Amino acid sequence: MKLEDFLASAAAAGRTAGVERSLREGADVNCVNEFGRTPLQVMMMGNTTVARLLLSYGARPNVADQSTRTTPLHDAAREGFLDTVKVLVEFSADPRALDFHNRRPVDLAKESGHCDVVAFLEAL
Amino acid sequence: MAQGASYPYEHVAEIGGGAYGTVYKARDMESGKFVALKSVRVQTDQDGLPISTVREVALLKRLEQFDHPNVVRLMDVCATQRTDQETKVTLVFEHVDQDLKIYLERAPAPGLSPDRIKDLMQQLLCGLAFLHSNRVMHRDLKPENILVTSQGQVKLADFGLARIYSCHMALTPVVVTLWYRPPEVLLQSSYATPVDIWSTGCIFAEMFRRKPLFCGESEVNQLGKIFEVIGLPSEEDWPNDVTISRKNFPSLFPRPITDFVPEINEQGAELMLEMLTFDPFRRISALNALEHEYFKEEETQIPTGNDIERNDSQTPSVT
Repeated sequence: MKLEDFLASAAAAGRTAGVERSLREGADVNCVNEFGRTPLQVMMMGNTTVARLLLSYGARPNVADQSTRTTPLHDAAREGFLDTVKVLVEFSADPRALDFHNRRPVDLAKESGHCDVVAFLEAL
Repeated sequence: MAQGASYPYEHVAEIGGGAYGTVYKARDMESGKFVALKSVRVQTDQDGLPISTVREVALLKRLEQFDHPNVVRLMDVCATQRTDQETKVTLVFEHVDQDLKIYLERAPAPGLSPDRIKDLMQQLLCGLAFLHSNRVMHRDLKPENILVTSQGQVKLADFGLARIYSCHMALTPVVVTLWYRPPEVLLQSSYATPVDIWSTGCIFAEMFRRKPLFCGESEVNQLGKIFEVIGLPSEEDWPNDVTISRKNFPSLFPRPITDFVPEINEQGAELMLEMLTFDPFRRISALNALEHEYFKEEETQIPTGNDIERNDSQTPSVT
C-alpha cells in the first residue's frame, strides 16, 4: 500500500497514530487518493487531533469536493463538530465558501440544527 | 445535479478492508451526507443469492423499520452481479464521523464525567437490548464500532454483519477483537448474546480508565489477564470439551473491580461485575442491565457538582 493511500485511510478511519506515523515518514499531505480526494477531505470529522495534524503539516484547508464543491468546513459544520470547525478556521478555512447549491458552511450547520457551530461561524 | 449518475453514492476513501470485502466512506449525492458502504462478495449459483444471505439482509432491513435511535440506519442494499458465480452485496449505512475511541481520546483530563458515562452506557445498552430482542447479536463490539454523534448520541454499527460474512468463511474464532472477547469465545465453547454483554462490560471499564481493561496478546494470555481481575473460575464453571485446560492458569482470587476502575461508584461496580461474569448463562442481560440500580440513582447525584463526594451516609433509602 502506498504511504499516501495509507494516510488517507487512516484519516478516514480516524486513526490518529496511523496519520501521525505516515506524516512523519514523509507522506504528501495534499496527495489525492484513488478517488481524487485529499486526506483532509475524507478525514473522520470528529477527530480534531487528526484535523490539526493534517493542517499543521500543510494540508490545504479550502480544497473542495470535485463533484459537490463541499469543503472540509462544510462537512465539519454539517456534522456539528465545533472543535474541528474551529481548527479549520484557525488554519484559514474560508467560512464563505459555497458548495454546488450555493450554501455556506453555516447554512449546513443551520439545516442540521447545530446551534453552537452556527453561533461560532456567525460571529466570525 | 449529479444527473446521469445512476449510482447515487460517490466513494471518497477506503476505511478498512478484510477477508470479506472492503468498507468505503462515500458521499450520498442527494443529501450531500457521508455514508459507509460495506460490501461482501457472495458466491451464487443458478438459484441466485444463497438463502442465508437473503435471510440476514432481510433481518437487517426489518430492524430498520423500528428506526431505533441507538443503531445506525441501514439506508440501502444493492446487489451487483460480478460473474456467474459471484455477486457483490453492498450495504449502505449512515456514517457517523466519530467513534467512542475518539470520543474517549478527546475528553479532557480527568476524562468523562460519571453522568456522561452513565448516559453513554444507557444508550449503548438500549441499542443492544433492541438488537438482542430481535435475535441479532453483534459479536464484535468495540469502541471503534460504537459511534457517537456530535450531539452525544450513541449508535451501534457493524451489527449483524458477522453472520453475513461468516456464511462464506468457516466459523473461525476471529469474530471479536481479542481485548473485548469473552471467555467463552476465547475457549471456543459458545457464541450467543451474552458475548456482547461481556464486551460492553469491558467498554464500561474503559470509559472510566480511558484505556482498555484487558489487553491480551493471545487467547491464553487474554484469559490470564481476565482471571487476574475476576479470579480463576471454579472447576464446575469451566466448560467441558474445550481445548484450553483450567490447569494452564494459576489459582487466583477475584480482586475488587475498584482496584482497576477506582472512579466508579458502588452500583456501577456491581453492574460491571454482573457484565464481567465468567459463565455466560449467569451474565446479566441487556434488558436487566437497564433496570439496574446504577441507572436509577441519577437524580440524587446531580446537585453535588463536579467534585462529587460519596454521600453514602445521607443517601435516602428509597423503598
